[in-house]
Amino acid sequence: MSERDLRSALLGVPVLDELEAQRRTWAVVRAAYAEREPVSRRAWRPRLVIAVAVAAALVAAALSPPGRSVGGWIRDRVAGKELAEPALVRLPAAGQLLVVSERGPWIVRPDGSKRLLGDYEDASFSPRAKFVVVTDGHLVMAVELDGDPRWQVARPGPVADPRWAPSPGFRVAYREGDTLRVVAGNGTGDRLLARDVAPIAPAWLPEEGRTVLAYADTTGRVHVVEADGEKELWSARTGASPEKLAWSSDGRLLLVVTNSDRHPLYRANGRPARSVRTPASQDVLDADFEPGTRDVAYSAFDSASRRSLVVLGDERLQAVEGHIDDLAFSPDGRWLLAGWPEADQLLFLRLPGVRRIVVVDDVRREFDPGSTGASAFPRLVGWCCPPTP
Amino acid sequence: MVGAGRDERAWVRGAQAGSASDFEALFRAHWPRAYRAAYLVVHDAAAAEDVAQEAFLAAVRALDRFDSRRPFGPWLHRIVVNRAIDWARARALRREVGAGDAIAEAPAEERGDPTAPLSDDVVAALASLSPDHRAVIVLRYVLEYTPGEISRMLELPRGTVNSRLRRGLDALQGAVRTEEEQ
Repeated sequence: MSERDLRSALLGVPVLDELEAQRRTWAVVRAAYAEREPVSRRAWRPRLVIAVAVAAALVAAALSPPGRSVGGWIRDRVAGKELAEPALVRLPAAGQLLVVSERGPWIVRPDGSKRLLGDYEDASFSPRAKFVVVTDGHLVMAVELDGDPRWQVARPGPVADPRWAPSPGFRVAYREGDTLRVVAGNGTGDRLLARDVAPIAPAWLPEEGRTVLAYADTTGRVHVVEADGEKELWSARTGASPEKLAWSSDGRLLLVVTNSDRHPLYRANGRPARSVRTPASQDVLDADFEPGTRDVAYSAFDSASRRSLVVLGDERLQAVEGHIDDLAFSPDGRWLLAGWPEADQLLFLRLPGVRRIVVVDDVRREFDPGSTGASAFPRLVGWCCPPTP
Repeated sequence: MVGAGRDERAWVRGAQAGSASDFEALFRAHWPRAYRAAYLVVHDAAAAEDVAQEAFLAAVRALDRFDSRRPFGPWLHRIVVNRAIDWARARALRREVGAGDAIAEAPAEERGDPTAPLSDDVVAALASLSPDHRAVIVLRYVLEYTPGEISRMLELPRGTVNSRLRRGLDALQGAVRTEEEQ
């Protein structure tokens, strides 16, 4: 084999996914380039302002979603569609995604195929994602992943926020008005657990075989109870209005996202741990623990700059114009998915840091096919484990 | 060399001044070989994409400090190849301590289908070399640098580069010969 043959052979190797890789990389690199502060910034800033203004006018005229842009350090308001995935063609990590649009909950499989479960309002996975518990007006229902209903519980009042207990999944908690109720995982034994609960979802301690549940009451106090024994383990006053509860994956910490700038964490025994502090101008839109760690990821909207930040631990991962309403970690913790309504995009951020960003465009249409694209942006409910056979 | 010459210098100067189109021209001129080089060193499409992407992001960060009279390619390729070597070494280390078994057992789709398209015997043989030897071969025969340039890019003695090239070529020819005989 001559050197010429070798060169020819190496240059002739078909490189997998080359054009797609180029497209994805260009989206990220271009965004980074738009973000940089060149030496001659003062000279080109007017051009940028004009470009943004013109682009904004074009966007408005074309009725396309504003801020259609990509990348991790975004200032480029009108990045073209060619920079983003035109559809959710596959998930970058194993597991299934649960998304709730105006049409109802959708299951997205790793290959990007989707199934609408039905005309339901809210949803969450069972522990191993074999079922989804959904609500529909006055009904709580368990459905299989093909949409077939397994059981249902009818209540007089409207129901919301169903959450399935961890493995083996013998309990489902949900709210009916300002009460909290629990039903067995087979749909039997529905009963009242607490009154005067705040309108936020309860959170099960993620410990196999346990039925410990955290919820907030209407006074802002957080309670942790043993649901089966109806015994309160501890409670704590947060000093603000709780908006979300989340346990770390090892069950050692409970995060209480509040409407203030202080978001307390409690140990499993109820003793206060540290707090997540955010600037007074920022509202936390979503937060969760990174799987396998005690680091908190959150998105916060800054009312002064009209931008949202995505932060993991102490690291700022992303800043965008508008809101990042929902965050969801992949089951392996290697990807963080962010929903960006203003751009009508999903951003898959490769962790640690942001090593790569996969952008999916036209999300409203994706989960509301046949619509004009004016529907509400879907909620990212969860990204769960692969289905068991 | 791809992108060398007046065009490239103009693109660099334009990109430094804020011209997105010049920056795009620079990217498009250099992406194919940067990605191919990374791929041939790491033999993993997802990792190659990460490596090439990180190299371009490094280029963005350092763009204002870059001397536009100098060629852009060698500077970029140096980052690509060194990062690719680091990645390949780290993967080899993970395999040594056992974590690689899980990677090896993962479905091809999840790990970026590392070697599926490398049907060419030469490329399969390349995969059998160490990352350092692969890098030298790729720099010489894909990116077309001279041994002197390679020694400066990898900060290796010229003799080391020559010996790695020789040993790499011998191993490739031996591997190809073996496969032909089977």
